[in-house]
Amino acid sequence: MTIDPFATLGLARRYDLDPSEIEQRYRDLQKALHPDKHVAASASLRRIALGKAVEVNEAYRTLRDEQKRAEALLAVLGGAAAASGEREQADPELLMEVMELREALSEAKAARDAALVRKLAGEVLAARTQVHAALAAAFAALPQPAAPSQLVPVAKLVSRLKYYQRFLDEVSTFEESL
Amino acid sequence: MLNAGSVFRFNTMSLMQIHDPSGAARPIGIDLGTTNSLVAYVPLIGEPVCVLDCDVDALVPSVVAYREDGAVVVGKEARRMAADRPEDTIVSVKRFMGRGADDAETRRLGPYRFATSEGPVVKFAVAGERVVTPVEVSAEILRQLKRLAEDALGEVGGAVITVPAYFDDAQRQATKDAGKLAGLDVLRLLNEPTAAALAYGLSSKQNGTFAVYDLGGGTFDVTVLVLDHGVFQVRSTGGDSQLGGDDMDRVLAERILLAMAGGGSRPASASRVRVALDSARAIKHALTERDEVEAEIEVPRASDVVEAQRITFRVTRAEFEAWVKPLVERTGVACRRALRDAGLQASQLDGVILVGGSTRVPCVREYVATLFGREPLTSIDPEQVVAIGAAIQADLLAGQGPSDDVLLLDVLPLSLGVEAMGGVVEKILPRNTAIPASAAQTFTTYADNQTGFSLHVVQGERELAEDCRSLARFTLKGIPPMPAGLARLTVRFDVDADGILKVSAHEETTGVTQEVEVKPSYGLADSEIEQMLLDAYDHAETDVGARSLREARVEADRIAQATQSALATDAALLEAGEGAAIEAALVRLLEATRGNAHRVIHERIEELDHVSKPFAGRRMDRSIARALAGRNLSEVERETAHAQGIERHLGRETDG
Repeated sequence: MTIDPFATLGLARRYDLDPSEIEQRYRDLQKALHPDKHVAASASLRRIALGKAVEVNEAYRTLRDEQKRAEALLAVLGGAAAASGEREQADPELLMEVMELREALSEAKAARDAALVRKLAGEVLAARTQVHAALAAAFAALPQPAAPSQLVPVAKLVSRLKYYQRFLDEVSTFEESL
Repeated sequence: MLNAGSVFRFNTMSLMQIHDPSGAARPIGIDLGTTNSLVAYVPLIGEPVCVLDCDVDALVPSVVAYREDGAVVVGKEARRMAADRPEDTIVSVKRFMGRGADDAETRRLGPYRFATSEGPVVKFAVAGERVVTPVEVSAEILRQLKRLAEDALGEVGGAVITVPAYFDDAQRQATKDAGKLAGLDVLRLLNEPTAAALAYGLSSKQNGTFAVYDLGGGTFDVTVLVLDHGVFQVRSTGGDSQLGGDDMDRVLAERILLAMAGGGSRPASASRVRVALDSARAIKHALTERDEVEAEIEVPRASDVVEAQRITFRVTRAEFEAWVKPLVERTGVACRRALRDAGLQASQLDGVILVGGSTRVPCVREYVATLFGREPLTSIDPEQVVAIGAAIQADLLAGQGPSDDVLLLDVLPLSLGVEAMGGVVEKILPRNTAIPASAAQTFTTYADNQTGFSLHVVQGERELAEDCRSLARFTLKGIPPMPAGLARLTVRFDVDADGILKVSAHEETTGVTQEVEVKPSYGLADSEIEQMLLDAYDHAETDVGARSLREARVEADRIAQATQSALATDAALLEAGEGAAIEAALVRLLEATRGNAHRVIHERIEELDHVSKPFAGRRMDRSIARALAGRNLSEVERETAHAQGIERHLGRETDG
């Protein structure tokens, strides 16, 4: 990531951002930047504004999604390397847990057991809420600047979040097909 | 158009006063519907209105009839001709917009003769040995609306044309082409639900989260948006571009055709199908008021039957509702998905806006009320609300609107991606991404010494490219030979504020950079459009040169004014000598507008643009800084106003 989405939206580099604040910043910036606000302007100004509007949209897309926000925060704190290292030597405990969950999900899906799918989704949602809290605490406790070794446990939490999200996406796809 | 005499006799001193509003052409908003189309505008004083025809009717049936003598008839008269000449009368042409000739769905859609052609576009063979594309047919409807507006307004300015939010790139492109072909200056394509929200939002000044449920003749859209002090932010959108009131007519028409056949199984003739569809529509309308309808229907003569027959067709509302129930329930899937994409429960909405003639059907209203757990809003005519919203947007874009504080923030309706190995779609921009948006993805070669790279651009939510809408295919050639996996091919997607996509690709490992712009493979080539435009000009005996000159002058006027006001308000941001250089370029531009060469005007516009570029950059940085500061103070105030807005709005609804 070359652009810091937190800086683009003028927000503090923290995980537990207030969603309404993200929305508000996004709207305020688009009021100044959106192409519709510059229809009568010179071509240069329109180009500059368009580029910035696109950048703000991208930052907004990143920050409003908890998983993407966590990844972006890790990246701006210098944890990109820690995150990719983590991917190579994935936490065996997490892998086991996720594998069991997915197995249960595919069985429930095959049986078209909507109630069971919902129950599994409920469990994952609860687990995800815990990871959110843990991430907020972990990010807040990081010293500035953080050493790569200090980022590793945070990166682990982020990849856990990613696995849960993928599980929930699969549930959504299944629910739509009902 | 602007009166050239009064507008261009100016010097720099009088520049700020040249816009005499009474002399300016009014911008218009067009709802180009599947079944009916409307045109509306915002008068200088008063509320936005739809233009009425001589029967005091705002709806122009979206029907185009082609006669043997070459004449083209649009609207009600064309609809009357449909029964006798079904093959030469194109109804619901919107359903064919941007569709491929080999699209399986295409041939199901009507009793037409499809012309065989090499190109990918559907073409109709009609009377007078003519072959027309859906873009041309739509342009006829737009021309009719333009004429109607000209009768009411004198001259017509730029136009905003609405499209279903769910239209893909091909369909949007085709709509824009039709506007160009009809001689309209298309300011913007606007999503229909956003237009509806604009019509409601501005008239009642409310804040909150709303769903727009739009069931029209041929398309269904649902959109969740947030209204916040003039900002209309689309949170999610979904729908079905092949579902609408026409489908209800078709279900009913099938029953009527069965009754006509009297138990026989002969395939129905085109004229029978047309009569059945027209009767079905009339019966559907009657059933919104009554519980039972009995219709006398004349059965068109088949060649081997001598006298005309009549049948009596009887249907109750309960029967009709049972037949269309599966169609109505299909809308629920999209509604639930849109809510989920917005991250909301139905109970968190502040209101549901109804749009489209088909929402008059009682069982549709009941379904919406159950689905969202509340009574929908209907205070603005659901058939006019989109055109009215489009007119408001046209007014704002043309800079003639009352308020500077309105802004529409829209999203991409369907995911965009490219076909990767194994036919799987690699999504580059997911659906409901805020637009304008850009994204890039890097690919590599998979064979040694591969010098070309094929790209297939698709749009849709399915995992396999073959299940998605194919937008374009192109090959990037000239990659220097190198081992597999070494080339770095970056594919870049740019989606503008209209939701229209541009794709470019380049390869840059060896310093060789190549860029390719994709021409859509589904629509019309630029040369075809150009030819059609030329034909249209010939037809109207318009001088292309005069038009170009007039357009260049309007553009110059616009830029000159913008520059002038920037210099006046932001003089503090100018560097030494910069103001003088910009003013010199401005004077040269104004000189050029007094001449007759549109090319010179364009050159001078570019010159001015070039010298004012750094200044423009500084102004933009300052507005960003301002947007980022100055929050906090007014926050509490805003929250209070927000709550009051909703209360006011709810009070209004219960009163009504």
